[in-house]
Amino acid sequence: MGSFMILFTLLGGITLSAQSSINGTLGRKAGSLETTLLTFVTGTLFLALYLLFFGNGNLGALFDAPKWQLSAAFLGTVYLLLTVIAVPKIGVIAANIAGIAGQLVAGMLIDHFGWFNSLEIHLDGKRILALGFMALALYLIYRGNKRSAAQAEAAA
Amino acid sequence: MRPLYYLLALLAGAALSFEGAIYAELGKSIGQVETSFYNFAAGTIIVGLLWLFFGKGEISQIKRAPKWSLLGGLLGVVYLTSIVISVPFVGVGVTMVAVIIGQMVMSMVIEHYGWLGSEPTPVNKEKILAVVSMTAALLLIN
Repeated sequence: MGSFMILFTLLGGITLSAQSSINGTLGRKAGSLETTLLTFVTGTLFLALYLLFFGNGNLGALFDAPKWQLSAAFLGTVYLLLTVIAVPKIGVIAANIAGIAGQLVAGMLIDHFGWFNSLEIHLDGKRILALGFMALALYLIYRGNKRSAAQAEAAA
Repeated sequence: MRPLYYLLALLAGAALSFEGAIYAELGKSIGQVETSFYNFAAGTIIVGLLWLFFGKGEISQIKRAPKWSLLGGLLGVVYLTSIVISVPFVGVGVTMVAVIIGQMVMSMVIEHYGWLGSEPTPVNKEKILAVVSMTAALLLIN
């Protein structure tokens, strides 16, 4: 089940990356806030249609769910806003990499402490070694993107 | 001043992990696709308000844009739903590492071929090694 979940999540990453490219293209014409709004509206429409026919959860329980769980809706907006603030100051490449680092470290912390009633997975030697590999990967992306940017500049 | 902006970018990424962990919990009580629906509906309200007051772009461009460029929302649905489903099984750490690998590989391919309106940027060995290193991390923590 675990490996299947990982493949499924890889697919999530693939679609997210395609989404950023598509939204980047549309955003240059329509504006980024407008594009984000369109993303949320169409996502809502697709999901509403799906739920009408195949929904087997309990959407009504939304009103009984603890408010801290509902407040997660603002975190996506927090991500967008902070990114918009950081990009002009430190550049797209650095902002993306710092963002990924924050995502990975926060993920490890949530696992370690079992925050939000999530699965508790403690930081052990293997996980610390893995953090080293992640840091190396981020450094390599930074180098790779810098090189691409330099080449693009040289070509222009 | 610059370190502050790095910190903001770090927090932006952390927000995504918190979002995943919290929605996983909501998904257990109301259902995963329902949670995804809630996220997009609430996001529509939040961003709709922001757009009303601060939108400076041209929303009418959406009608003139090629239809494929309107599919971002559908792709976002796949992403969010996959997270809500996966986190309770493998934890937030593994989920985020897997998402990031998927993103890294796909953006390399998209940029290499200049798909989806992106600027063509050839893949280089640093980027490939980055994927290898991130995959090693995934194997270690899984």
